[in-house]
Amino acid sequence: MPEAPLLDVRGLRVRFNAQVEAVRGVDLTVERGQTHCVVGESGCGKSVSSLAVMGLLARGAKRSAAHMRFDGQDILGLSDTALQRLRGDRMAMIFQEPMTSLNPAYTIGSQMAEALTRHRKVGKQQALDRAAELLTKVGITAPGLRLAQYPHQLSGGLRQRVMIAMALMCDPELLIADEPTTALDVTVQAQILRLLRDLQAELGLAILLITHDLGVVARIAHKVSVMYAGEVVESASATDLFAAPRHPYTQGLLGCVPIPGKIKRGDPLGSIPGTVPRIADGFTGCGFRDRCAHAMPQCAVSVPQRDDGAGHRHLCHLS
Amino acid sequence: MAFQLRRLALALGFVIVIGIALVALLAPWITPQDPFLQNLDARMAPPSFMDGGTAAHFLGTDQLGRDYFSRLIYGARISMLIGVLVVVCSGLIGTTLGVVGGFFGGRIDAVVMFIITCRLSIPLILVALTVVAFVGSSLTVVVLTLGLLLWERFAVVARTTTMQVRNLDYIAAAWAAGCSRPYILLREVLPNIVHHLIVVATLEMALAILLEAALSFLGLGVPPPLPSWGLMIAEAKDYMYFSPWVILVPGIALFVLVLGINLLGDGLRDRLGATRDA
Amino acid sequence: MTAAIEVRDATRVFRQSTGVFSGDRLIRAVDGVSFSVESGGCLGIVGESGCGKSTLARLILGLLPTTSGEVLVEGQRLADMDRKARARLIQPVFQDPFSSLNPRRRIRDIVAMPLQAQGITGRAQADRVEEMLVRVGLPGAIGDRVPAQLSGGQRQRVAIARALVLRPRIVVCDEPTSALDVSVQAQILNLLDELRRDLGLTYVFISHNLAVVEHISDRVAVMYLGRMVEQAGTDALFAAPKHPYTQALLASVLTPEPGLGVPDVGLGDLYPDPANVPPGCRFHPRCKLAQARCALEAPVPREVAGHRVECLLV
Repeated sequence: MPEAPLLDVRGLRVRFNAQVEAVRGVDLTVERGQTHCVVGESGCGKSVSSLAVMGLLARGAKRSAAHMRFDGQDILGLSDTALQRLRGDRMAMIFQEPMTSLNPAYTIGSQMAEALTRHRKVGKQQALDRAAELLTKVGITAPGLRLAQYPHQLSGGLRQRVMIAMALMCDPELLIADEPTTALDVTVQAQILRLLRDLQAELGLAILLITHDLGVVARIAHKVSVMYAGEVVESASATDLFAAPRHPYTQGLLGCVPIPGKIKRGDPLGSIPGTVPRIADGFTGCGFRDRCAHAMPQCAVSVPQRDDGAGHRHLCHLS
Repeated sequence: MAFQLRRLALALGFVIVIGIALVALLAPWITPQDPFLQNLDARMAPPSFMDGGTAAHFLGTDQLGRDYFSRLIYGARISMLIGVLVVVCSGLIGTTLGVVGGFFGGRIDAVVMFIITCRLSIPLILVALTVVAFVGSSLTVVVLTLGLLLWERFAVVARTTTMQVRNLDYIAAAWAAGCSRPYILLREVLPNIVHHLIVVATLEMALAILLEAALSFLGLGVPPPLPSWGLMIAEAKDYMYFSPWVILVPGIALFVLVLGINLLGDGLRDRLGATRDA
Repeated sequence: MTAAIEVRDATRVFRQSTGVFSGDRLIRAVDGVSFSVESGGCLGIVGESGCGKSTLARLILGLLPTTSGEVLVEGQRLADMDRKARARLIQPVFQDPFSSLNPRRRIRDIVAMPLQAQGITGRAQADRVEEMLVRVGLPGAIGDRVPAQLSGGQRQRVAIARALVLRPRIVVCDEPTSALDVSVQAQILNLLDELRRDLGLTYVFISHNLAVVEHISDRVAVMYLGRMVEQAGTDALFAAPKHPYTQALLASVLTPEPGLGVPDVGLGDLYPDPANVPPGCRFHPRCKLAQARCALEAPVPREVAGHRVECLLV
């Protein structure tokens, strides 16, 4: 019997108002020491899903799920205070734009220390020592200097490193990263991803990484879920998914990405016609059928969940 | 819930302002009596719904026996007229200054900022009082004085919003397309700041109406026998212990109008902001 | 044959105030950049944020004057041209399709704006707008809508239609697909490529995405802190980058190929600051090959095997 996954979410649904369901029955599992990437285009529900897991949805949003477990414990019915205790402690989150998640009025040091003293009984000095230690760990030279600085004095790459260090203050077991490198330059992106990978190996972190970038997914994910219109349309190990994508959307998406040296100049890139539909209530069948070259009449009626038995699942009539 | 309350406030403001504006426009046709007609035999008659009131005078009469309801309606004319004219005058001055400063920047903007700072250093009420006292009070003098003084908020808002819009890519695209400066200012910049200016206009209108009332109360606003609400309050203050309605009626009218305009302004700010982000 | 665009030693300096008591700081956003683009070609310009690539775009478009140096378009000095003549030659497509279209105007009027500026009105204007909307793959009925009713991809098509409605010779694309989803990005890239071939356009294509630049450009220039550190034909540059910065940049491209892992770009945690340019070679604090003389001696561009490189060690 394999060990139960650290995060286990089944049938997650999120609705913002009576008409629009942003997430429609999403399953996600994150194993200890592994990275699960959720990939999709804007509006597919990937960020909403991660916020729903953290219990950070905007007011007015309603979430439901068959179950949602963290380390075997149900977190769906958890009270706000209990969830708050969990957040920042055993599960931490980093966002796309670190500037908005750091308070401009406090130094890096006091914000990092607070992340620890909020959850643990430790002194200020002890917390600052830990902050300095973690800044070194995320590859920041001269941590003493950085601790005394304010967020606006740091560049984007440094801020994201600080955010990661801050997320690690309480030794979290699960790190949820929502587009952590999208706002960064390519060279810095590679550095940050390398850092996340190294930290994972060292600390046994489970990482749920939300991104739109298939390059990032290919290079860092163990497991991938492709989201489209509020559903996970395909999920598999990274190797399987890129070697043999099964869902027409995944295939289309991979064809859209230019790869240096792979496509002759002047040849068009693959592209997916049309745009993401708005899924209204009472929608049945496959959300991708209007853009799909293989659409059949039964696609408007139902979509079967297919499973090859080795963990490669997809939602489609084609197998 | 909060959203519905806000819509309700906007609707209320809209109804109040449109209602009072209609009353002001239609004043000659809806007033039951001549607001200037004195009747010394029927002075200080209480409103019809109070003890001793008569059906002839719905809100009673004032110290000269003039029909109070008719005067209130004509007073709405004065308030609305002053509000609109002052806003037009100050809006033109402030918007021009602000847009020019924000759009051209540099030295021109420095001059505009200096003018705005000078204006902010002028004690509004004192200057208005002095001017009116010096030149003599008339409707024109009140409008011009307030119009020439109340433009600073237009200028500040027009300047900052123009500066934001100026740096957007669609303005760069218009430059690259070879558009002329006036074209860019009028067709590309102005339509995108006008909703901010509408909100300022409501605030300034409310302020102008209150200031006119204050000036009239001090005897330096609209000259009698024109029925301004401020003047009515001033004339009523000698009688308010015996006949409280004479001060309550124009006071409440003033409060309701200014409240309506402010509700409208707040509501428009929310609504116009929302459409811009959508 | 004259080049479509020739930039000679272009420099643009910005003044930034640093506080109440300290003096102003000078930022050389573009510092002595020279290049040319031949007619019908596509020059890709890549670099990280703050390298001056967007400022360079504005210099080429004539939206900003150069502090020194000059920009020639079809052999004429840009600074000598009147705004209408310039508009007929060179047009922009910007990054953010949400801020590049006036939210208060209808699509038809947005696309007609350049024609309006040239005094082309009435039937002729309407016909050309209609033709252009069809050409970029938009339904004609879209003309009556406002930008808020369009998707990101549709908005970018509108921006392209506006840029091409005057039938310019040159289009400067400043990150035209960076704000778009992958599938939409591919559509827009295909459209831009097709339009270039059909209409014989010359492109200056600015992007931080090297894979996109590789796909669309035939020549690539790499910018770092205001300087152009390497220029070469696309294939040559991607096959054998000479400058250490180009090498790091290319190494950091993440293609969707699992198993390759995350590359080590070896640049350390020092990030470039345009307001504080290091002496000598600007890249030396981040360069893993740097030697003592790199901090002292500023490199000049040299021709090495078809690359124009600015590095002391090449």
